[in-house]
Amino acid sequence: MDELLRSLFEKKYKRLVCIIRSVISVHFNCLKFVMLGVMSFPTAVNAEGLFSQGKLIATGGVSQVEGAGGSGLTTWALITGYGTNKGMGVNAHHTAVWLSDFTLQSSGLSVGLFDRVELSFAHQWFDTGEAGARLGIGEGFTFDQDIIGAKVRLIGAAVYDQDKWLPQIAIGANYKRSGDKALVAALGAANTDSFDYYVSATKVILDQSLILSATARLTEANQFGLLGYGSATSTHTLHGEFSAAYMFTPKLVAGIDYRTKPDNLAFAEEQDAKAAYVAYFFNKNLSLTLAGVDLGTIALQGKQRGFYASLQAGF
Amino acid sequence: MRILKVIISALIFNFFALNANAQSLYEKLGENPKIHKIMVRTLELSMEDERIAFTLERSDLDRLAQLLTDQTCELTGGPCKYEGVDMKKAHVGLGLTTGHFNALVEHLQQAMREENISNRTQNQLLALFAPMHRDVVEK
Ligand code: HEM
Repeated sequence: MDELLRSLFEKKYKRLVCIIRSVISVHFNCLKFVMLGVMSFPTAVNAEGLFSQGKLIATGGVSQVEGAGGSGLTTWALITGYGTNKGMGVNAHHTAVWLSDFTLQSSGLSVGLFDRVELSFAHQWFDTGEAGARLGIGEGFTFDQDIIGAKVRLIGAAVYDQDKWLPQIAIGANYKRSGDKALVAALGAANTDSFDYYVSATKVILDQSLILSATARLTEANQFGLLGYGSATSTHTLHGEFSAAYMFTPKLVAGIDYRTKPDNLAFAEEQDAKAAYVAYFFNKNLSLTLAGVDLGTIALQGKQRGFYASLQAGF
Repeated sequence: MRILKVIISALIFNFFALNANAQSLYEKLGENPKIHKIMVRTLELSMEDERIAFTLERSDLDRLAQLLTDQTCELTGGPCKYEGVDMKKAHVGLGLTTGHFNALVEHLQQAMREENISNRTQNQLLALFAPMHRDVVEK
């Protein structure tokens, strides 16, 4: 089955790459090499191997917008990748979000260690396009930030504890650092780097084919951090991320995300973010997530709705 | 956002409409003949999988398929009595890992797919087996 999918995919792959590459930035080139590497990575069949991908398909989630294991906009308590308590998994992702006035992209790497610890890195960049000119920062001005994340699973087994109400619970932190220190300060952000702290609870309800997840996040990040952190009058506040997904098949999951965000900056109002997504897991090495997103108003440019696409490759 | 509405409706439908379905899980799985077929096929697929074949090499697979059928029948509300040993005793000393456990689950999923068991019904059965992870897996 795997062989069949692989040969099928390889045929479609070249065309897919051409289409996607023409839309996504040059960064996709990097991911392409990672993906090719992954596709040729021999599937380790030994159940004891460090990279033997012992978890069930889709149970590592996908890389969310900050690079952690989760869905589109929300972080989940699941540890990314397919490593069990005896293994590890590595993922690369590229995400592009085409909004009404902007494009947001994210590339990153994440590692799941022994189904206990997750480490992630993501680089995000936010192209202001023509809105940049309207904002007086120059057409096509691009904000960017780096995000380093760590997550630890504390208790619970989201998949196995079907006879208990206790969800899988994890805590984590993101270190976010702006690449545009002078400008975000000029926009009114108090800090050019900052920490987010979160606690996340995720439950797979197999009996209903549902995945439910909620995360409480202490953050001062303006627009995920792309517009800096905090302001003269506000600092960390508590925010929620909620996600519900239905498992149509082991490989096809669709759901909705809702995420509240701070509203720190005086010059522009910030609103909650929403997404409705479909994630398809071709196999344990490759998944594609497509979503409709609504990030609310950003930098006075009206409602930012758009299309989200994220490709994740891993072993 | 139309997709949003569709997905929300699907989630609500899932909770209310499908739960009203009075058929027992035992019936949805096609009762004993089909359950037995699924278990035979699960073991057959497991024997072709080098991750776990070695654990079953010395087992009487016909007997095991029958015990699995009885167990599944009883668990899902069918008219059977499982007469094997408990899950801890049955697997002690095999040194089974989560990787082994999931490999078997993958074969069970495929066997159910081949018998056209709906994904929702498959997951309902897996929900009953999943907690046995605690007793089956030793490390
Ligand atoms: C939810 C998961 C599982 C269930 C419901 C299950 C069920 C059973 C049952 C009913 C028996 C028979 C007990 C008896 O002899 O009285 C058994 C035995 C056995 N199981 Fe499992 N099992 C599970 C997982 C596994 C896994 C993951 C493996 C290995 C990969 C495995 C390998 C064996 C072996 C080798 C035996 C001994 C068979 C013999 O006596 O010859 N089982 N299991």
